[in-house]
Amino acid sequence: MPEFLETMVDKFTFKVAPDRLYNAEGLWAKLEGNLVRIGLSDFLQQRSGDVAFAEVKPVGTQVAFGDEIAAIETIKVNISLTSPVTGRVVEVNPAMTTAPEAINQDPFGAGWLAVVEAADWETDKASLLDPQVYFAKMKLEAEQEVKKQ
Amino acid sequence: MTDQNRKSCVVIVPCSGIGKTYGAVSREAAYVITEDLRPEDTQLVALSMLVLGDETARAAVAGNSAITIDGCKLACASKMVKESGGKVVQEIAVLDVYRRYKQFKPQGIGELNEGGLQLAKALADEVAVTIDTLASDNKGGRNA
Amino acid sequence: MPDLPKKKVGVVSCSGEELAEGTVTRLAALKVLEQLRPADTVTICLPLFLAGGEGDRAFARFYPTIAVDGCELRCAARATELYSSKPAASIVVRELIAENDLGQPEGRRRLNQAGLQAVDATAERIAALVDELLGKYSDRQAGTFVEPQTVSAGPENSQETEKAVACSCSSGIPIQNVQIGGQEVTLIALPLIFEQFRQSGKTPSVATAGELLDTVKLYNSVPENTDEQYKTILLREYAAFYEKESDR
Repeated sequence: MPEFLETMVDKFTFKVAPDRLYNAEGLWAKLEGNLVRIGLSDFLQQRSGDVAFAEVKPVGTQVAFGDEIAAIETIKVNISLTSPVTGRVVEVNPAMTTAPEAINQDPFGAGWLAVVEAADWETDKASLLDPQVYFAKMKLEAEQEVKKQ
Repeated sequence: MTDQNRKSCVVIVPCSGIGKTYGAVSREAAYVITEDLRPEDTQLVALSMLVLGDETARAAVAGNSAITIDGCKLACASKMVKESGGKVVQEIAVLDVYRRYKQFKPQGIGELNEGGLQLAKALADEVAVTIDTLASDNKGGRNA
Repeated sequence: MPDLPKKKVGVVSCSGEELAEGTVTRLAALKVLEQLRPADTVTICLPLFLAGGEGDRAFARFYPTIAVDGCELRCAARATELYSSKPAASIVVRELIAENDLGQPEGRRRLNQAGLQAVDATAERIAALVDELLGKYSDRQAGTFVEPQTVSAGPENSQETEKAVACSCSSGIPIQNVQIGGQEVTLIALPLIFEQFRQSGKTPSVATAGELLDTVKLYNSVPENTDEQYKTILLREYAAFYEKESDR
Protein backbone atom coordinates (compact mmCIF):
# COMPACT_ATOMS: atom_id res chain seq x y z
CA MET A 1 0.00 0.00 0.00
CA PRO A 2 1.36 3.46 -0.85
CA GLU A 3 2.23 5.76 2.08
CA PHE A 4 -0.64 7.18 4.02
CA LEU A 5 -1.79 10.76 4.02
CA GLU A 6 -1.39 11.80 7.65
CA THR A 7 -2.34 14.60 9.94
CA MET A 8 -1.79 15.11 13.63
CA VAL A 9 -4.30 16.77 15.94
CA ASP A 10 -3.12 17.07 19.55
CA LYS A 11 -1.50 13.69 20.20
CA PHE A 12 -3.63 11.82 17.66
CA THR A 13 -2.43 10.87 14.21
CA PHE A 14 -5.06 10.22 11.57
CA LYS A 15 -4.20 8.35 8.42
CA VAL A 16 -5.94 8.10 5.08
CA ALA A 17 -5.02 5.29 2.69
CA PRO A 18 -4.55 6.84 -0.76
CA ASP A 19 -5.48 3.72 -2.75
CA ARG A 20 -9.23 3.71 -2.14
CA LEU A 21 -12.31 5.92 -2.12
CA TYR A 22 -14.40 7.12 0.81
CA ASN A 23 -17.97 7.97 1.60
CA ALA A 24 -18.76 11.08 3.63
CA GLU A 25 -19.34 8.99 6.74
CA GLY A 26 -15.82 7.62 6.64
CA LEU A 27 -16.15 4.14 5.17
CA TRP A 28 -13.61 3.21 2.54
CA ALA A 29 -14.21 1.21 -0.62
CA LYS A 30 -11.41 -0.52 -2.50
CA LEU A 31 -11.94 -2.04 -5.91
CA GLU A 32 -10.50 -5.55 -6.34
CA GLY A 33 -11.45 -6.74 -9.82
CA ASN A 34 -15.25 -6.68 -9.81
CA LEU A 35 -15.39 -6.86 -6.05
CA VAL A 36 -15.24 -4.01 -3.57
CA ARG A 37 -13.74 -4.45 -0.13
CA ILE A 38 -15.05 -2.05 2.52
CA GLY A 39 -14.01 -0.92 5.96
CA LEU A 40 -13.77 1.98 8.38
CA SER A 41 -11.34 4.84 7.99
CA ASP A 42 -8.75 5.48 10.68
CA PHE A 43 -10.53 8.67 11.73
CA LEU A 44 -13.89 6.94 12.05
CA GLN A 45 -12.47 4.09 14.15
CA GLN A 46 -10.59 6.43 16.44
CA ARG A 47 -13.58 8.70 16.88
CA SER A 48 -15.83 5.73 17.62
CA GLY A 49 -13.55 4.09 20.19
CA ASP A 50 -12.69 0.47 20.91
CA VAL A 51 -15.09 -1.78 19.03
CA ALA A 52 -16.76 -4.21 21.36
CA PHE A 53 -19.18 -5.71 18.84
CA ALA A 54 -19.46 -5.59 15.08
CA GLU A 55 -22.37 -6.98 13.11
CA VAL A 56 -22.12 -7.16 9.36
CA LYS A 57 -24.91 -8.12 6.97
CA PRO A 58 -24.48 -11.78 6.10
CA VAL A 59 -23.22 -13.23 2.83
CA GLY A 60 -25.90 -13.04 0.17
CA THR A 61 -27.44 -9.80 1.38
CA GLN A 62 -28.26 -7.31 -1.35
CA VAL A 63 -27.32 -3.78 -0.32
CA ALA A 64 -27.89 -0.50 -2.06
CA PHE A 65 -25.56 2.46 -1.84
CA GLY A 66 -26.46 4.15 1.46
CA ASP A 67 -28.16 1.10 3.02
CA GLU A 68 -26.94 -0.13 6.38
CA ILE A 69 -24.30 -2.77 5.81
CA ALA A 70 -22.91 -3.06 9.33
CA ALA A 71 -23.31 -1.78 12.86
CA ILE A 72 -20.62 -1.36 15.46
CA GLU A 73 -20.93 -0.89 19.18
CA THR A 74 -18.27 0.76 21.27
CA ILE A 75 -18.37 2.16 24.77
CA LYS A 76 -19.01 5.59 23.26
CA VAL A 77 -21.41 4.92 20.40
CA ASN A 78 -23.63 2.47 18.57
CA ILE A 79 -23.35 3.35 14.93
CA SER A 80 -24.96 2.14 11.80
CA LEU A 81 -22.57 2.06 8.85
CA THR A 82 -23.90 2.73 5.38
CA SER A 83 -22.66 0.90 2.34
CA PRO A 84 -20.46 2.84 -0.11
CA VAL A 85 -21.40 0.41 -2.86
CA THR A 86 -24.47 -1.30 -4.35
CA GLY A 87 -24.27 -5.05 -4.73
CA ARG A 88 -24.29 -8.40 -3.00
CA VAL A 89 -22.26 -9.24 0.09
CA VAL A 90 -19.98 -12.12 -0.88
CA GLU A 91 -17.64 -12.24 2.08
CA VAL A 92 -17.72 -11.06 5.68
CA ASN A 93 -14.54 -10.69 7.71
CA PRO A 94 -14.60 -13.54 10.28
CA ALA A 95 -12.65 -11.33 12.66
CA MET A 96 -15.80 -9.24 13.11
CA THR A 97 -17.18 -12.05 15.27
CA THR A 98 -14.08 -13.23 17.05
CA ALA A 99 -11.89 -10.13 17.27
CA PRO A 100 -13.61 -6.95 16.09
CA GLU A 101 -10.82 -4.92 17.66
CA ALA A 102 -9.10 -5.53 14.33
CA ILE A 103 -11.08 -2.50 13.16
CA ASN A 104 -9.14 -0.39 15.66
CA GLN A 105 -5.80 -2.10 15.23
CA ASP A 106 -5.65 -2.19 11.43
CA PRO A 107 -8.59 -0.32 9.90
CA PHE A 108 -7.17 -0.36 6.36
CA GLY A 109 -5.92 -3.94 6.48
CA ALA A 110 -7.04 -6.79 8.71
CA GLY A 111 -9.98 -4.75 10.03
CA TRP A 112 -11.97 -4.83 6.77
CA LEU A 113 -15.71 -5.41 7.15
CA ALA A 114 -16.99 -7.10 4.03
CA VAL A 115 -16.50 -7.71 0.34
CA VAL A 116 -19.32 -6.76 -2.02
CA GLU A 117 -19.84 -7.86 -5.60
CA ALA A 118 -20.52 -4.45 -7.12
CA ALA A 119 -23.59 -4.06 -9.33
CA ASP A 120 -22.61 -0.69 -10.80
CA TRP A 121 -19.27 0.51 -9.50
CA GLU A 122 -18.94 3.33 -12.04
CA THR A 123 -22.09 4.99 -10.74
CA ASP A 124 -21.23 4.42 -7.09
CA LYS A 125 -17.70 5.68 -7.37
CA ALA A 126 -18.91 9.00 -8.75
CA SER A 127 -20.58 9.57 -5.39
CA LEU A 128 -17.50 8.76 -3.35
CA LEU A 129 -14.67 11.03 -2.29
CA ASP A 130 -11.16 10.61 -3.55
CA PRO A 131 -8.54 10.26 -0.79
CA GLN A 132 -7.27 13.84 -1.00
CA VAL A 133 -10.75 15.28 -0.68
CA TYR A 134 -11.61 12.91 2.16
CA PHE A 135 -8.33 13.81 3.85
CA ALA A 136 -9.17 17.52 3.82
CA LYS A 137 -12.67 16.87 5.09
CA MET A 138 -11.45 14.51 7.78
CA LYS A 139 -8.78 16.95 8.92
CA LEU A 140 -11.31 19.72 9.35
CA GLU A 141 -13.66 17.45 11.28
CA ALA A 142 -10.85 16.26 13.54
CA GLU A 143 -9.78 19.81 14.34
CA GLN A 144 -13.34 20.90 14.98
CA GLU A 145 -13.91 17.99 17.33
CA VAL A 146 -10.86 18.88 19.34
CA LYS A 147 -11.97 22.51 19.59
CA LYS A 148 -15.36 21.39 20.89
CA GLN A 149 -13.79 19.78 23.96
CA MET B 1 6.70 1.84 49.32
CA THR B 2 5.05 -1.20 47.71
CA ASP B 3 2.99 -3.89 49.34
CA GLN B 4 5.17 -6.23 51.27
CA ASN B 5 6.46 -9.22 49.32
CA ARG B 6 4.75 -12.44 50.15
CA LYS B 7 5.97 -15.87 49.23
CA SER B 8 4.15 -17.53 46.32
CA CYS B 9 1.64 -14.80 45.74
CA VAL B 10 0.28 -13.81 42.37
CA VAL B 11 1.23 -10.33 41.24
CA ILE B 12 -1.64 -8.31 39.83
CA VAL B 13 -0.70 -5.51 37.45
CA PRO B 14 -3.50 -3.30 36.07
CA CYS B 15 -2.93 -0.79 33.31
CA SER B 16 -4.93 1.94 35.04
CA GLY B 17 -5.12 3.82 31.77
CA ILE B 18 -6.57 7.26 32.23
CA GLY B 19 -7.85 7.82 28.70
CA LYS B 20 -10.74 5.34 28.68
CA THR B 21 -13.27 3.92 31.07
CA TYR B 22 -11.73 0.49 30.52
CA GLY B 23 -8.60 1.69 32.33
CA ALA B 24 -10.70 2.63 35.34
CA VAL B 25 -12.28 -0.82 35.28
CA SER B 26 -8.84 -2.45 35.23
CA ARG B 27 -7.84 -0.45 38.29
CA GLU B 28 -11.03 -1.21 40.19
CA ALA B 29 -10.81 -4.91 39.34
CA ALA B 30 -7.26 -5.02 40.67
CA TYR B 31 -8.45 -3.57 43.95
CA VAL B 32 -11.36 -6.01 44.17
CA ILE B 33 -8.94 -8.92 43.72
CA THR B 34 -6.21 -7.76 46.07
CA GLU B 35 -8.38 -6.23 48.80
CA ASP B 36 -11.62 -8.20 48.74
CA LEU B 37 -11.38 -11.56 47.01
CA ARG B 38 -7.83 -12.87 47.44
CA PRO B 39 -5.88 -10.52 49.72
CA GLU B 40 -3.65 -13.29 51.10
CA ASP B 41 -2.72 -14.69 47.71
CA THR B 42 -2.08 -11.58 45.68
CA GLN B 43 0.01 -8.44 45.54
CA LEU B 44 -0.75 -5.32 43.57
CA VAL B 45 2.21 -3.87 41.69
CA ALA B 46 2.13 -0.49 39.99
CA LEU B 47 3.12 -0.79 36.33
CA SER B 48 5.13 2.41 36.19
CA MET B 49 7.19 1.48 39.22
CA LEU B 50 8.00 -1.84 37.62
CA VAL B 51 8.95 -0.31 34.30
CA LEU B 52 11.04 2.42 35.88
CA GLY B 53 13.05 -0.09 37.85
CA ASP B 54 11.76 -0.03 41.38
CA GLU B 55 13.60 -2.88 43.09
CA THR B 56 10.70 -4.09 45.18
CA ALA B 57 8.37 -4.14 42.20
CA ARG B 58 10.92 -5.98 40.10
CA ALA B 59 11.57 -8.52 42.81
CA ALA B 60 7.86 -9.19 43.21
CA VAL B 61 7.44 -9.80 39.49
CA ALA B 62 10.62 -11.84 39.20
CA GLY B 63 9.66 -14.16 41.99
CA ASN B 64 5.99 -14.75 41.23
CA SER B 65 3.47 -15.38 38.50
CA ALA B 66 1.73 -12.30 37.18
CA ILE B 67 -1.75 -11.57 35.95
CA THR B 68 -2.11 -8.42 33.88
CA ILE B 69 -5.35 -6.53 33.51
CA ASP B 70 -5.45 -4.31 30.45
CA GLY B 71 -8.22 -1.93 29.60
CA CYS B 72 -8.02 -2.39 25.88
CA LYS B 73 -6.26 -4.34 23.19
CA LEU B 74 -3.23 -2.09 23.23
CA ALA B 75 -2.26 -4.34 26.15
CA CYS B 76 0.21 -1.98 27.77
CA ALA B 77 0.41 -3.83 31.09
CA SER B 78 0.88 -7.22 29.48
CA LYS B 79 3.54 -5.94 27.13
CA MET B 80 5.51 -4.10 29.77
CA VAL B 81 5.38 -6.85 32.36
CA LYS B 82 6.72 -9.32 29.82
CA GLU B 83 9.43 -6.89 28.78
CA SER B 84 10.37 -6.49 32.42
CA GLY B 85 10.94 -10.23 32.64
CA GLY B 86 7.66 -11.16 34.30
CA LYS B 87 5.99 -14.56 33.87
CA VAL B 88 2.47 -13.64 32.79
CA VAL B 89 0.12 -16.55 33.41
CA GLN B 90 -3.03 -14.69 32.42
CA GLU B 91 -3.55 -11.61 30.29
CA ILE B 92 -7.03 -10.28 30.66
CA ALA B 93 -8.48 -7.39 28.68
CA VAL B 94 -11.48 -5.52 30.05
CA LEU B 95 -12.83 -5.22 26.52
CA ASP B 96 -13.00 -9.03 26.22
CA VAL B 97 -14.75 -9.35 29.57
CA TYR B 98 -17.22 -6.66 28.53
CA ARG B 99 -18.10 -8.79 25.50
CA ARG B 100 -19.12 -11.56 27.89
CA TYR B 101 -21.01 -9.23 30.20
CA LYS B 102 -22.68 -6.82 27.83
CA GLN B 103 -25.21 -5.89 30.50
CA PHE B 104 -22.45 -4.16 32.51
CA LYS B 105 -21.69 -1.17 30.32
CA PRO B 106 -18.99 0.90 32.02
CA GLN B 107 -18.92 4.67 32.01
CA GLY B 108 -16.78 7.25 33.73
CA ILE B 109 -13.06 7.36 34.37
CA GLY B 110 -12.65 9.20 37.68
CA GLU B 111 -15.75 7.56 39.04
CA LEU B 112 -17.13 4.38 37.55
CA ASN B 113 -20.84 3.92 37.12
CA GLU B 114 -22.66 0.88 38.50
CA GLY B 115 -22.10 -0.99 35.24
CA GLY B 116 -18.38 -0.38 35.52
CA LEU B 117 -18.25 -1.57 39.11
CA GLN B 118 -20.17 -4.71 38.20
CA LEU B 119 -17.88 -5.34 35.26
CA ALA B 120 -14.85 -4.95 37.51
CA LYS B 121 -16.35 -7.47 39.92
CA ALA B 122 -17.08 -9.94 37.10
CA LEU B 123 -13.51 -9.60 35.86
CA ALA B 124 -12.15 -10.01 39.37
CA ASP B 125 -14.19 -13.19 39.82
CA GLU B 126 -12.66 -14.63 36.64
CA VAL B 127 -9.17 -13.80 37.85
CA ALA B 128 -9.91 -15.33 41.26
CA VAL B 129 -10.57 -18.65 39.53
CA THR B 130 -7.13 -18.47 37.92
CA ILE B 131 -5.53 -17.64 41.25
CA ASP B 132 -7.24 -20.61 42.91
CA THR B 133 -6.08 -22.89 40.10
CA LEU B 134 -2.52 -21.70 40.50
CA ALA B 135 -2.70 -22.19 44.23
CA SER B 136 -3.99 -25.74 43.91
CA ASP B 137 -1.37 -26.54 41.23
CA ASN B 138 1.29 -25.32 43.64
CA LYS B 139 -0.07 -27.47 46.44
CA GLY B 140 -0.29 -30.45 44.08
CA GLY B 141 3.30 -29.89 43.09
CA ARG B 142 4.43 -29.82 46.68
CA ASN B 143 2.50 -32.98 47.51
CA ALA B 144 3.80 -34.94 44.54
CA MET C 1 0.54 28.55 5.68
CA PRO C 2 -0.65 25.24 7.14
CA ASP C 3 -3.44 25.20 9.69
CA LEU C 4 -1.39 24.49 12.80
CA PRO C 5 -2.65 22.79 15.96
CA LYS C 6 -3.46 24.85 19.04
CA LYS C 7 -0.84 24.86 21.74
CA LYS C 8 -1.90 22.71 24.66
CA VAL C 9 -0.39 21.31 27.80
CA GLY C 10 -0.09 17.59 28.40
CA VAL C 11 -0.92 16.36 31.89
CA VAL C 12 0.76 13.11 32.93
CA SER C 13 -0.43 11.63 36.19
CA CYS C 14 1.20 8.66 37.86
CA SER C 15 -2.16 7.07 38.81
CA GLY C 16 -0.17 4.89 41.19
CA GLU C 17 -2.47 2.20 42.54
CA GLU C 18 -0.57 1.43 45.72
CA LEU C 19 -1.06 4.75 47.49
CA ALA C 20 -4.01 7.05 48.03
CA GLU C 21 -1.83 9.84 46.68
CA GLY C 22 -1.74 8.01 43.37
CA THR C 23 -5.53 8.16 43.21
CA VAL C 24 -5.33 11.85 44.07
CA THR C 25 -3.10 12.48 41.03
CA ARG C 26 -5.51 10.65 38.77
CA LEU C 27 -8.59 12.50 39.94
CA ALA C 28 -6.84 15.86 39.94
CA ALA C 29 -5.65 15.37 36.38
CA LEU C 30 -9.14 14.38 35.28
CA LYS C 31 -10.65 17.38 37.01
CA VAL C 32 -8.36 19.70 35.08
CA LEU C 33 -8.96 17.88 31.80
CA GLU C 34 -12.72 17.72 32.14
CA GLN C 35 -13.67 20.80 34.13
CA LEU C 36 -10.99 23.40 34.79
CA ARG C 37 -9.04 23.61 31.52
CA PRO C 38 -10.69 21.30 28.96
CA ALA C 39 -9.69 23.38 25.95
CA ASP C 40 -6.07 23.76 27.02
CA THR C 41 -5.04 20.31 28.14
CA VAL C 42 -4.53 16.83 26.81
CA THR C 43 -4.20 13.69 28.87
CA ILE C 44 -1.09 11.61 28.47
CA CYS C 45 -1.86 8.03 29.40
CA LEU C 46 1.18 6.88 31.38
CA PRO C 47 0.92 3.12 30.70
CA LEU C 48 0.51 3.79 26.98
CA PHE C 49 3.38 6.23 27.17
CA LEU C 50 5.60 3.62 28.82
CA ALA C 51 4.55 0.93 26.38
CA GLY C 52 5.63 3.05 23.42
CA GLY C 53 2.54 5.07 22.50
CA GLU C 54 4.10 7.20 19.79
CA GLY C 55 1.38 9.84 19.70
CA ASP C 56 1.70 10.50 23.41
CA ARG C 57 5.49 10.54 23.30
CA ALA C 58 5.57 12.84 20.30
CA PHE C 59 3.14 15.21 21.95
CA ALA C 60 5.22 15.28 25.11
CA ARG C 61 8.38 15.97 23.12
CA PHE C 62 7.12 19.19 21.66
CA TYR C 63 4.40 20.48 23.88
CA PRO C 64 4.85 21.43 27.52
CA THR C 65 3.86 18.77 30.03
CA ILE C 66 2.99 18.79 33.69
CA ALA C 67 3.89 15.64 35.61
CA VAL C 68 1.69 14.92 38.60
CA ASP C 69 3.13 12.32 40.98
CA GLY C 70 1.81 10.90 44.19
CA CYS C 71 5.11 10.39 45.91
CA GLU C 72 8.79 11.12 45.66
CA LEU C 73 9.42 8.21 43.30
CA ARG C 74 8.08 10.60 40.65
CA CYS C 75 7.26 7.94 38.09
CA ALA C 76 5.34 10.31 35.81
CA ALA C 77 8.09 12.92 35.77
CA ARG C 78 10.86 10.36 35.23
CA ALA C 79 8.98 8.54 32.49
CA THR C 80 8.21 11.76 30.66
CA GLU C 81 11.85 12.82 30.76
CA LEU C 82 13.06 9.35 29.79
CA TYR C 83 10.85 8.90 26.75
CA SER C 84 10.16 12.44 25.59
CA SER C 85 11.53 15.49 27.26
CA LYS C 86 11.71 16.96 30.72
CA PRO C 87 8.30 18.08 31.98
CA ALA C 88 7.84 21.83 32.08
CA ALA C 89 6.48 21.46 35.60
CA SER C 90 6.29 18.73 38.19
CA ILE C 91 3.96 18.34 41.15
CA VAL C 92 4.37 15.82 43.93
CA VAL C 93 1.14 15.44 45.87
CA ARG C 94 2.88 14.55 49.13
CA GLU C 95 4.85 17.78 48.97
CA LEU C 96 1.78 19.80 48.08
CA ILE C 97 -0.10 18.32 51.02
CA ALA C 98 2.72 19.28 53.37
CA GLU C 99 2.99 22.81 51.93
CA ASN C 100 -0.71 23.41 52.34
CA ASP C 101 -1.02 21.67 55.66
CA LEU C 102 -3.72 19.34 54.37
CA GLY C 103 -4.85 16.14 56.02
CA GLN C 104 -3.49 12.74 55.00
CA PRO C 105 -5.38 11.18 52.06
CA GLU C 106 -6.54 7.66 52.67
CA GLY C 107 -8.44 5.10 50.65
CA ARG C 108 -6.89 3.98 47.35
CA ARG C 109 -10.29 3.16 45.90
CA ARG C 110 -12.48 5.76 47.58
CA LEU C 111 -10.66 8.78 48.92
CA ASN C 112 -11.48 10.19 52.33
CA GLN C 113 -12.31 13.85 52.83
CA ALA C 114 -8.66 14.80 53.12
CA GLY C 115 -8.01 13.01 49.87
CA LEU C 116 -10.77 14.93 48.11
CA GLN C 117 -9.35 18.19 49.41
CA ALA C 118 -5.97 17.16 48.08
CA VAL C 119 -7.58 16.51 44.69
CA ASP C 120 -8.99 20.04 44.63
CA ALA C 121 -5.71 21.61 45.72
CA THR C 122 -3.71 19.60 43.19
CA ALA C 123 -6.15 20.40 40.39
CA GLU C 124 -5.95 24.12 41.16
CA ARG C 125 -2.17 23.96 41.12
CA ILE C 126 -2.19 22.13 37.77
CA ALA C 127 -4.62 24.67 36.30
CA ALA C 128 -2.44 27.57 37.43
CA LEU C 129 0.60 25.94 35.85
CA VAL C 130 -1.32 25.39 32.63
CA ASP C 131 -2.12 29.10 32.48
CA GLU C 132 1.49 29.99 33.17
CA LEU C 133 2.77 27.66 30.49
CA LEU C 134 0.33 28.97 27.93
CA GLY C 135 1.31 32.51 28.78
CA LYS C 136 -2.14 33.48 29.93
CA TYR C 137 -2.67 36.08 32.58
CA SER C 138 -5.71 37.19 34.41
CA ASP C 139 -7.19 40.59 33.66
CA ARG C 140 -8.80 41.35 36.99
CA GLN C 141 -10.77 44.30 35.69
CA ALA C 142 -12.31 42.35 32.87
CA GLY C 143 -12.52 39.21 35.01
CA THR C 144 -11.24 37.11 32.14
CA PHE C 145 -8.12 35.45 30.92
CA VAL C 146 -6.16 37.28 28.29
CA GLU C 147 -3.95 35.44 25.83
CA PRO C 148 -0.79 37.09 24.56
CA GLN C 149 -0.77 38.49 21.05
CA THR C 150 1.16 36.35 18.62
CA VAL C 151 3.39 38.04 16.10
CA SER C 152 2.21 37.17 12.64
CA ALA C 153 4.77 35.84 10.22
CA GLY C 154 2.51 36.73 7.32
CA PRO C 155 3.42 38.26 3.99
CA GLU C 156 4.31 41.70 5.37
CA ASN C 157 7.11 40.14 7.38
CA SER C 158 8.38 37.78 4.73
CA GLN C 159 11.20 40.05 3.64
CA GLU C 160 12.51 40.36 7.17
CA THR C 161 12.54 36.65 7.87
CA GLU C 162 13.51 34.24 5.18
CA LYS C 163 12.56 31.46 7.53
CA ALA C 164 9.53 32.09 9.73
CA VAL C 165 10.36 31.36 13.34
CA ALA C 166 6.86 31.56 14.75
CA CYS C 167 3.67 30.54 13.06
CA SER C 168 0.88 32.94 12.38
CA CYS C 169 -1.74 30.99 14.27
CA SER C 170 -2.20 31.26 17.99
CA SER C 171 -0.52 27.96 18.78
CA GLY C 172 2.99 29.38 18.93
CA ILE C 173 4.52 26.30 17.30
CA PRO C 174 7.74 27.18 15.53
CA ILE C 175 7.93 26.38 11.85
CA GLN C 176 10.67 26.70 9.29
CA ASN C 177 10.46 27.17 5.54
CA VAL C 178 12.95 25.24 3.46
CA GLN C 179 13.52 24.80 -0.26
CA ILE C 180 13.04 21.21 -1.44
CA GLY C 181 13.00 20.32 -5.11
CA GLY C 182 12.60 23.96 -6.09
CA GLN C 183 9.56 24.45 -3.88
CA GLU C 184 9.19 26.19 -0.57
CA VAL C 185 8.06 23.73 2.06
CA THR C 186 6.93 24.68 5.55
CA LEU C 187 8.00 22.18 8.17
CA ILE C 188 6.16 22.24 11.46
CA ALA C 189 8.26 22.11 14.61
CA LEU C 190 11.57 21.98 12.70
CA PRO C 191 13.37 24.51 14.93
CA LEU C 192 12.34 22.53 18.00
CA ILE C 193 13.46 19.29 16.40
CA PHE C 194 16.85 20.78 15.62
CA GLU C 195 17.23 22.12 19.14
CA GLN C 196 16.32 18.78 20.67
CA PHE C 197 18.80 16.95 18.47
CA ARG C 198 21.52 19.43 19.32
CA GLN C 199 20.83 19.09 23.02
CA SER C 200 20.96 15.32 22.67
CA GLY C 201 24.46 15.69 21.29
CA LYS C 202 23.63 14.51 17.78
CA THR C 203 26.12 15.96 15.36
CA PRO C 204 25.27 16.47 11.68
CA SER C 205 25.79 13.13 9.93
CA VAL C 206 24.14 10.73 7.53
CA ALA C 207 22.71 8.76 10.43
CA THR C 208 21.38 11.91 12.04
CA ALA C 209 19.72 12.87 8.75
CA GLY C 210 17.73 9.64 8.85
CA GLU C 211 16.66 10.28 12.41
CA LEU C 212 15.73 13.86 11.57
CA LEU C 213 13.51 12.69 8.75
CA ASP C 214 11.77 10.17 11.02
CA THR C 215 11.04 12.90 13.55
CA VAL C 216 9.94 15.41 10.91
CA LYS C 217 7.48 12.83 9.62
CA LEU C 218 5.71 12.80 12.97
CA TYR C 219 4.52 16.35 12.32
CA ASN C 220 4.61 16.77 8.59
CA SER C 221 3.38 14.89 5.59
CA VAL C 222 6.39 13.94 3.46
CA PRO C 223 5.49 13.07 -0.14
CA GLU C 224 6.18 9.63 -1.50
CA ASN C 225 9.65 9.00 -2.99
CA THR C 226 11.18 12.18 -1.56
CA ASP C 227 12.96 10.73 1.45
CA GLU C 228 16.43 11.20 0.02
CA GLN C 229 15.71 14.79 -1.03
CA TYR C 230 14.37 15.59 2.40
CA LYS C 231 17.31 13.98 4.16
CA THR C 232 19.76 16.01 2.11
CA ILE C 233 18.03 19.27 2.90
CA LEU C 234 17.45 18.45 6.55
CA LEU C 235 21.10 17.57 6.98
CA ARG C 236 22.18 20.80 5.35
CA GLU C 237 19.80 22.90 7.45
CA TYR C 238 20.76 21.08 10.61
CA ALA C 239 24.46 21.51 9.94
CA ALA C 240 23.91 25.27 9.54
CA PHE C 241 21.86 25.39 12.72
CA TYR C 242 24.41 23.32 14.62
CA GLU C 243 27.28 25.53 13.55
CA LYS C 244 25.40 28.69 14.42
CA GLU C 245 24.50 27.40 17.88
CA SER C 246 28.03 26.19 18.52
CA ASP C 247 29.41 29.62 17.72
CA ARG C 248 27.28 31.31 20.41
